[in-house]
Amino acid sequence: MSQADTSSMISVQGISKHYGDFQALQHVDLEIAKGEFVVLLGASGCGKSTLLNLVTGFDRPTGGRIFVNGRQVNKVDPHCGMVFQQYALFPWLTVIDNVAFGLKMKGISKAERHKTATHFIEMVGLKGFEHKYPNALSGGMRQRVSIARVLANDPDVILLDEPFAALDAMTRQVLQDELLQIYEKSKKTIIFITHSIDEALLLSTRMLIMSARPGRVVTDMVNDLPMPRNAEVQLSPRYNELKSQIWDTVQSEVMRSLKATSH
Amino acid sequence: MISKPPSRSALLSTSAASIIVFLAVWELICRAGWIDPIFLPPPSAVFAKAMGMAGEGTLIGNVLASGRRVMIGFLAATAVAIPLGIILGTSTYARAAFDPILSFLRPLPSMSWIPLSLLWFGITETQKYSIVFMGTFAPALVYVIEATRNVDPLLIRAAQNLGANRWQVMKEVILPGSLPQILSGMKVILGLAWTCVISAELVAAREGLGFLIMNGKEFFQTEVVVLGMLLISITVLVTDFVFRVLENRVLRWQR
Repeated sequence: MSQADTSSMISVQGISKHYGDFQALQHVDLEIAKGEFVVLLGASGCGKSTLLNLVTGFDRPTGGRIFVNGRQVNKVDPHCGMVFQQYALFPWLTVIDNVAFGLKMKGISKAERHKTATHFIEMVGLKGFEHKYPNALSGGMRQRVSIARVLANDPDVILLDEPFAALDAMTRQVLQDELLQIYEKSKKTIIFITHSIDEALLLSTRMLIMSARPGRVVTDMVNDLPMPRNAEVQLSPRYNELKSQIWDTVQSEVMRSLKATSH
Repeated sequence: MISKPPSRSALLSTSAASIIVFLAVWELICRAGWIDPIFLPPPSAVFAKAMGMAGEGTLIGNVLASGRRVMIGFLAATAVAIPLGIILGTSTYARAAFDPILSFLRPLPSMSWIPLSLLWFGITETQKYSIVFMGTFAPALVYVIEATRNVDPLLIRAAQNLGANRWQVMKEVILPGSLPQILSGMKVILGLAWTCVISAELVAAREGLGFLIMNGKEFFQTEVVVLGMLLISITVLVTDFVFRVLENRVLRWQR
């Protein structure tokens, strides 16, 4: 295959990544269609973040190619908007200027970019906080700003690297629901990294379970829980069926990697 | 043992009392005739001299002359050091090219530039500016380079991910991100700039605080010498205070 499949938003073709002798990823092939909400699930050290860093162009693969919306990734690509676990907000900019940052880079006028930023700040429920600095916000609010900042930049793909891992359980649940609403409204293609099976089931339309040493995708399964969804879906029988199915796979992978690390 | 933290006014009056006791002891020692006023004049004599010179206008004139030299030399040095430091801090090639020159310049004290600067510029204002510039430029550059390295690399990634190019990353992330550390470095550099200008004026000048001290010594006017030293301290304290106010305004987001 020399060209990217036109129907897919992200095409990962035979990607490997080595750090010296350490093989972080081994020949990963992946097609993600437009509008999918894909959750990458796996224990720490399985190469989830490595894969994401290759898709954004932060890192170079040792072998293979990646296409996003038909373009080969060979530098940091603003078409893949990234939401970081540690928020990565600019502390010297107010909420509105953080959200408008990408638009400023494109040379859009201040009035226009503030108009767009205001729209997305309202979408994530932060109306009234436009002129606060990130230091004055809680973790949950900071992550909302970070999501609004990516949305305002209108990327083809939104990548989230364990975005809610540092938040308390209540805030996490609220943000998960909000992210689902944003997904339904924006119809963006999303790749979301987590090590929580519940989070994966609640959010995804498709789940990729990854395994460590070497990092690769071991299971690719569709999440057929009905949309629109909210936290209540966790009470349905189908949810528990899928959960135990995933748990079997994850458990054996975790046991295997524990054995490999213990001496 | 746990004691109540002292109040602010209690601490302030302790400091004030310390100054008064210090001046009183100094005055008494001189009045008692234990020290020849040629070696150390009493504070009252220094104060009287200050009043006299203030009346003639020479007091403020000398402060302003030194202050102007410090500001011009300091601003010129930082105006070059900040952009250059950001480039050197982010580009490994620029760093490799500039590092040898920098390591040659860094160990040179500002005093060592005085003979050359006198040859090049004579006893002029430009010569004073150049001494301040040469004495502060290299350390300022080192501060800026160091500051850029402490910018969170995640913020640089975030900016690139939002579409910032190399130049925009420098202007929109590295500069504001390293500004707190650059400013605290500049405070140190400003103190250094004063040292430079005083040493330049001690060697060759027609006005300024360094000149005042040297001139006082020539004519055995020790009270002028002490007054000059006192004025240096006060001026540096005042500029430091002004700088801190500016710093707080620029770094509002940190609070």
